Amino acid sequence: MIKYDHVAKTYTDEPVIKDVSFTVNQGELVVLVGPSGSGKTTLLKMFNRLTVPTNGNVYYQEKKIKDYDLQKLRLATGYVLQDSSLFPNLNIQDNIAIQLEQQGLNKEKRHQRARELLAAVDLDPATYATRMPDELSGGEQQRVGIIRALAAKPAVILMDEPFSALDPVVRKQLQDLVLKLQKQTQTTIMFVTHDMHEALRLGTKVAVLKSGVLQQVGTPQEIINHPATDFVRQFFRGHGFHFSLGDLLTDGLGQVIPDEKLNLKVATCQKVEDLLTFCRDHDDRQFVVKCDQQSYLVDRQSVWDYLIRREEERA
Amino acid sequence: MLNTIVDTFHSQSDAILKATQQHITISLISLLIAMAIAIPLAILLKDHQKIAEGCLQVAGIIQTIPSLAILGLLIPLVGIGTVPAIIALVLYAIMPIFQNTYAGLTDIPTNLEEAATAFGLTKWKKLQRLELPLAMPMILSGIRISLVMIIGTATLAALIGGGGLGTFILTGIQSNNNADVIIGAVLSAALAFFFSWLLKFISQNGRRFKVSLGIIAVFLVGLGGTKLYQAVRPAPTKVVIAGKMGSEPDILIHMYKDLIKEADPHAEVTLKPNFGGTTFLFKALQSGQIDIYPEFTGTVNQQIIKSKVKTGSNPQKTYQLAKDQLAKRYQMRYLKPMKYQNGYALAVSSQFAKEHQITTMSQLANYNDEITAGFDPDFYQLHDGYPGLKKPYGYHFKDIKTMAPSIRYKAIANNRVNVVDGYTTDPQIPQYGLVMLKDDKHFFPPYQGAPLMKESFAKKNPRIVRALNKLAGKITTEDMQEMNYEVTVKKKSAAKVAHHYLVSHHLLDK
Repeated sequence: MIKYDHVAKTYTDEPVIKDVSFTVNQGELVVLVGPSGSGKTTLLKMFNRLTVPTNGNVYYQEKKIKDYDLQKLRLATGYVLQDSSLFPNLNIQDNIAIQLEQQGLNKEKRHQRARELLAAVDLDPATYATRMPDELSGGEQQRVGIIRALAAKPAVILMDEPFSALDPVVRKQLQDLVLKLQKQTQTTIMFVTHDMHEALRLGTKVAVLKSGVLQQVGTPQEIINHPATDFVRQFFRGHGFHFSLGDLLTDGLGQVIPDEKLNLKVATCQKVEDLLTFCRDHDDRQFVVKCDQQSYLVDRQSVWDYLIRREEERA
Repeated sequence: MLNTIVDTFHSQSDAILKATQQHITISLISLLIAMAIAIPLAILLKDHQKIAEGCLQVAGIIQTIPSLAILGLLIPLVGIGTVPAIIALVLYAIMPIFQNTYAGLTDIPTNLEEAATAFGLTKWKKLQRLELPLAMPMILSGIRISLVMIIGTATLAALIGGGGLGTFILTGIQSNNNADVIIGAVLSAALAFFFSWLLKFISQNGRRFKVSLGIIAVFLVGLGGTKLYQAVRPAPTKVVIAGKMGSEPDILIHMYKDLIKEADPHAEVTLKPNFGGTTFLFKALQSGQIDIYPEFTGTVNQQIIKSKVKTGSNPQKTYQLAKDQLAKRYQMRYLKPMKYQNGYALAVSSQFAKEHQITTMSQLANYNDEITAGFDPDFYQLHDGYPGLKKPYGYHFKDIKTMAPSIRYKAIANNRVNVVDGYTTDPQIPQYGLVMLKDDKHFFPPYQGAPLMKESFAKKNPRIVRALNKLAGKITTEDMQEMNYEVTVKKKSAAKVAHHYLVSHHLLDK
């Protein structure tokens, strides 16, 4: 449905996007993730032509983005910004309905739609519709920011680090909200974040970027289990993710031993799940794990410690 | 002092009200025009930083030109009266409004601009729903700055016959009447305060703002309607009579008005007293801004036709020369002069006269080194003023200060100078006990007053010519001195004094 085809962008001799290609299918929630300066926002804004590629093309439904009528394209695209960016001079329902207003929908219908959307995200229309943005908390404002993007029932919604300024609890609520709304509406969403937890949690597909180069595109499982480059591995590991059992064991969960260690049970494992299954089924305090033609001595206790630590980090 | 002010308020309440109305009208019209130019301009230029900064600089430069100079520069282009006053005020008011509007519009947070763009809002929609509302506080403060400035500067409109409260300040300074100055100044300050507050009040909430926009719309429609009505209704004879600064021309033009009204009761006569100096009035007459003004024969020869012919002290010859040259060179008709002569004179304080025993202008040359003179700038420069006097009388005074006519009398009264120039009919000469020196070498040409108008106007309005000729040979120097005294010192209105003279001398029935 959306296709980035050998896209590149250069600002005064400084390449920010280098030859990026990937596709987004109908109903997918694609997360563009990478450190700051990796070009993920630039890539996102190419869809609604806030930036224009210097090379290559973006296609939407087989047609080049640059051939679309700009205003029509933007009116049919939802957009959520980092801070909610509500217009401070308009009340909540006028904010939500701003695209509908531009489309020429009458006031009554606009406000009706705004109120429906408010109710759908648990904001009581009776109290919220006529409030001004500065009377709402940050989380509530961004909630409104999200439904503002939904108001015109767009086929595509772009979200540019929408939750990065919110505290973890609110962030999680809003992530859930996005997942729920996406499931209900089957809208195609492109979502930019620098937070890999968020990327893995939300994305049906994750695209990892570094310095304008696309490192890997895949499902969260693929990315965790088969990082395509060192950068991807480092990027996720540095934040508490280990994708391969081999790395995990080498990194301190196990201790490398020669093959002929005696009197201990041997577990032959491919994935973290295999190790967990073994631990579940056996009570031994110590055992040998064989993985990628290497033997490791593993304490049962450290496996549980690892699991507990990971859960803490995820919460 | 306070009593004088209260009295003036009572006796001149109509004039004060009218001046205030004029002041408000001029100010508000200027403000609306300035807004109509500055705000759209700022909107157009908000995405063109370089051009906008260029405009800001141009507007800034205009701002630094003294308002008096702008008024002067505008006279040859658009003449005198309300129009150039409004143009000057608009030029001044554009800068703050433009600057603030531009700053407000370019200061919109980038994320909001980006959101609006990304939602596909048109430029107009963006302006209407985001940019203008956010810039509004800035725009309004710009408007307030301009308004306060306009109301203050509008007092200068009086200088070029634009009317308003400045008229009081100006005539007050001319006639040395502090009550008038204070009334003009205080009222214009009060207006500035009031409108500044009003603007703040209406901008505090949306409803007040909308209501006031409605009122402005009604005001504009009303204004347009009146102008239209004036344009379509049958025009009566319209006569605009102007006079120079001071009480004497003021009295004369009121006499003209009374006489014309008697001859043609339907004529619409507009008086513009204290309208300006000779060159200014003559230009106004040429360009048709005014129809009649009283001018002196001597002044015509010296300043308008700049004659080199020496007419000596013969009043008839002087008048004839002036009349012929005006007709030949400028197609003007100069009606018959009145009796009194209002020539230049030199006056000294009575103390100085007594001390040195002087009564004539020749004697003054013996005391060149002791003399500090206070002269009108005109007198200081003209042939028939000081430069001309030097040779025949052998003058080379130690020090000469040039100052406005009313101020030089104050200066001599306070012993700041010991010789001043003056006119023979000036009431200050008896008022301050000054001694007028005899022109024993007959240097000063005779100055007789007579109405001056275009030949075309005279031909078209024979009734007016006949009416004004009634004054020919009337009014003695003593009559004029007395009338000047009544107006300047006793603060009677020029209209009453003029009317009284006409009636008591049977020039008018009632």
